[in-house]
Amino acid sequence: MDFINENLLTILILLPVFGAVGVILHQMFWKQESQLKWLTFGLTLVNFLISLLLISGTKTAGTGFSFEKNVPWISAINTNYHVGVDGLSLWLVILTTFIMPIAVISTWHAVEKRPTAFYAFLLLLESAMIGVFVSLDLLVFYLFFEASLVPMFFLIGIWGGENRIYAAVKFFIFTALGSLLMLAAIIALYYVHASQTGLGTFDFVALTRSIELGHLAFTGPLAVTGTLMFWAFALAFSIKVPLFPFHTWLPDAHTEAPTAGSVILAAVLLKMGTYGLMRFNFTLFPDQSREWAWLFITLAIIGIIYGALVAMVQPDVKRLVAYSSVAHMGFVILGMFSFTEMGMQGALYQMLNHGVSTGALFLLVGFIYERRHTRQISDFGGLANVMPIYATVFVITSMSSVGLPFLNGFVGEFLIMIGMWKSTILQVTASANWNYIATMLAGTGVIFAAVYLLWMIQRVFFGKVTNEKNRSLKDLSWREIGLIAPLLFLMVFMGVYPRPFLDAAKESVNAIQKRVMHQAGGEVDHAAAVDNKTTEPRSHE
Amino acid sequence: MNTLFLQLTPPDTNIPILLPELIVAAVGIVVMVYDSFFPKDRVTTGLISIAGLAVSAFFLIRMWSGETFGASSWNGMIAHDNLRLGFSIVFLIVTALTILISTVWVEREDVPAGEYHALLMFATFGMMLMASGNDLVVIFLGLETLSIATYVMAGLRRGDLKSNESAMKYFILGSFASAFLLYGMALIYGATGSTNLTQIADKITTANFPGLLLIGGAMMLVGFGFKIASVPFHIWTPDVYEGAPAPVTGFMAAGPKAAAFASFIRVFVLGFPFIAGIQASNYLHESWMTALSVMAMLTMTVGNVAAIMQNNVKRMLAYSSIAHAGYALVGFIGAGAAKPGQAQDAAIASVAFYMLTYAITNLGAFSVISLLAQKNDRRAEFEDYNGIGFKSPVLSFTLSLFMLSLLGLPLTAGFVGKVMVFRPALEAGNTLLTVLVIVAVINTAISAYYYLRMIVVMFFRERTTEWTEPKIPAMLSAALLIAVIGVFYLGIFSSGIIERFSQSRSAVGAHLR
Repeated sequence: MDFINENLLTILILLPVFGAVGVILHQMFWKQESQLKWLTFGLTLVNFLISLLLISGTKTAGTGFSFEKNVPWISAINTNYHVGVDGLSLWLVILTTFIMPIAVISTWHAVEKRPTAFYAFLLLLESAMIGVFVSLDLLVFYLFFEASLVPMFFLIGIWGGENRIYAAVKFFIFTALGSLLMLAAIIALYYVHASQTGLGTFDFVALTRSIELGHLAFTGPLAVTGTLMFWAFALAFSIKVPLFPFHTWLPDAHTEAPTAGSVILAAVLLKMGTYGLMRFNFTLFPDQSREWAWLFITLAIIGIIYGALVAMVQPDVKRLVAYSSVAHMGFVILGMFSFTEMGMQGALYQMLNHGVSTGALFLLVGFIYERRHTRQISDFGGLANVMPIYATVFVITSMSSVGLPFLNGFVGEFLIMIGMWKSTILQVTASANWNYIATMLAGTGVIFAAVYLLWMIQRVFFGKVTNEKNRSLKDLSWREIGLIAPLLFLMVFMGVYPRPFLDAAKESVNAIQKRVMHQAGGEVDHAAAVDNKTTEPRSHE
Repeated sequence: MNTLFLQLTPPDTNIPILLPELIVAAVGIVVMVYDSFFPKDRVTTGLISIAGLAVSAFFLIRMWSGETFGASSWNGMIAHDNLRLGFSIVFLIVTALTILISTVWVEREDVPAGEYHALLMFATFGMMLMASGNDLVVIFLGLETLSIATYVMAGLRRGDLKSNESAMKYFILGSFASAFLLYGMALIYGATGSTNLTQIADKITTANFPGLLLIGGAMMLVGFGFKIASVPFHIWTPDVYEGAPAPVTGFMAAGPKAAAFASFIRVFVLGFPFIAGIQASNYLHESWMTALSVMAMLTMTVGNVAAIMQNNVKRMLAYSSIAHAGYALVGFIGAGAAKPGQAQDAAIASVAFYMLTYAITNLGAFSVISLLAQKNDRRAEFEDYNGIGFKSPVLSFTLSLFMLSLLGLPLTAGFVGKVMVFRPALEAGNTLLTVLVIVAVINTAISAYYYLRMIVVMFFRERTTEWTEPKIPAMLSAALLIAVIGVFYLGIFSSGIIERFSQSRSAVGAHLR
């Protein structure tokens, strides 16, 4: 048991890798394709159960990391395999392991082409995703961040739709460009730290400590360097999120990916971006994070409104859900950059919510696509008459996505809104408090979300059955109900009882918030912002 | 009487220190002789060569482990340091892999195997001399030994026009570049009165070093620029690489390029640290840094952009090798900017390590390409790879792995290589070098397009024509296995090797100073 506790994270990362090798060997020697999905499902389920051990073992008080493991990797450049979880990464790891078995079952009948490779790539993807959330060494983090691209690239490229090649290549190159700049910044950070303290390091904990003690501060002559590095990190994560001008890869990738791919993409991969911003940008570059918050908030609001408006006019249900992702992730960014405790906790909560509800929406779209091989809204109509259970589930999930009270989306969005309202990060002038304006603008996004989802539901489910082909559609099977049930349960549970989730994350998130707002001149800036009440509002707003 | 006595002192010979080189040369001769007795035998010469390489490697590694070989070596003409040892190991690996890969081609095209193997051994001898020569003359000797052997190898497929074109182009342009190099060496001798690099370095540390050095240095830059295929001296590369037989192309991209880098570093970083170093003339040093940085940026950009437009896989890899020379130049410039001592040793080691990762990856890729290319390399267009992904999973997945390693994705050798060469440039903390790294990074993203294209073609497209999976010969699968293990090993467990490569020079060659 001690062994397991000490190496829990490593086990979580390696189990799927060995699983993938096992799946391939299994096919080479036994050639039982029908057993594949059971094997993969079993592996992901075991991984999920193991990951539940993290909940009880993670320290929720204080700020340190639990389940830490630190062994040298390439000693010549002082990089270590250093992993650990805290309240911030805990739920994201569990979200990953939770969504994987669901993704595997969702492919029960959908994957006919090359199932071995499909399941092997899924498992490899799981390893990389868990690795991203738990690594505490920047180079190792980069390694997992980049490694997650390859399986996804194959998943979209081989098992995707019509336009899959374009989507896969676009996905890869967009993300790779951002993360490569981050690599340059990571190496530069090593030498900046070396020049300031005499010791080069990639270790996140060591870097954080240096910043806390004031040994490493990106002020004075290092301010420009700091800003450049901040942007290199921020760009990598903004593309991944995706933040407004970098979002164009997302609808393509989502639409072309197979259902399991879309679910994972929405539920987990996008979270890597927001997680990265929160973990690395905020902690390593607190001054720059404050300085540029206005830009991120602006882009997030544009994303919220633009994503919703574009979603409204999509003829394809899956594309609609994809654009709704852009809007939802905008909320997450907004909450994070409010730099209030509530806003940031809401952002983390909204990451989980988005994983659950949008993941569920993609699953539901996948169900109907398997039956009809189309996703065009105009091909449907009156489905509620033929598939009552499906319609009910779909409506509940959409409501969760819109943010109806007592469902999970409400809690996250509400916290984010309050956080932004109370925030002091934007200019407060005599005539206008820009934080209020930002909150109000974001609030319209909630209304738009209701519009595009309800309108789509109306066209797809209500009215008379207009297309004869839809008359004989079967309602959800037991497998499909079993698949969606845990997600529905979570939507309700997280909506009425968010405490356990928020409590576990509280300390870690608050620590980050404190670092950004109260460190290295944070107080001073804050005071200055109040003093500047009489100055002109910034031109960008 | 006195003078006569001086002449009679035994020359400063030190055979053991040259043993690795001598073994390779001797085995080359043995192979040639053996071949004249048993011309039909295609296997034995290869085995002899590989055995020779292994023995040579054994001695190299022993030297690395701190075995000392006397205090002097050929009047300072042979250097005995990490630069030499690291690169020499790379050459031995390259040649051994090339021999393994060539088996399939030697069979198919009815190539005189003995001659081919002998030429490879002589080329290796040349490369090793280039890495160990601490004297301009020795470096030139090594270069010519190498070049003449590769000219012949490029044209080994006599029946094929493209191969002939390749050999002819390589020969004429190569000789032209050698002439530049030699002229540069002559001018430097004129400027400093010595061809020994240590002596040259000593003579030019003062501010009033002879101006002739500048012209000589520029001439040598042209010569080395040609050999490493850096822009604007790269024009020959695509034609020569496309025309030469696939295994020879793989060899040329990995071996001679690394050898040229070894001499380039020896001359420009250790001999006249980017023309006389900061102490002598800060201004000149800066302008050479700028010039070389611009060259590196152009090399990467031209290589990558041109590679995107290629439809022939060999040609694509030719441009990719130009781009990789650009990445290695980043480490090279980092070495020039680093202070002599540990930082500089680490920077030099990073280039050697980069060439090792590139060599293994690239030869791995060429082993698959050689197998699929068929007679006269007919099947080397991208469309020939359409949809073979799951028809031949072993070949396609390994080829994909090599592509991802060339791209520099984590967990592969290419990633660690890239991190290593970017480090010294960023360590300098100089704006120019930072820009250089950013350009390199953007170029990596550009290169993703054509490396991924290979994967796209193999896995995401469907095949319309008939295609049968070729049988993988034992030797080739050995090469593939070594390359795959190498890519993962260097990508994951590279710690020890990097430390070996970057041991400080004094630890290895202290007894020579």
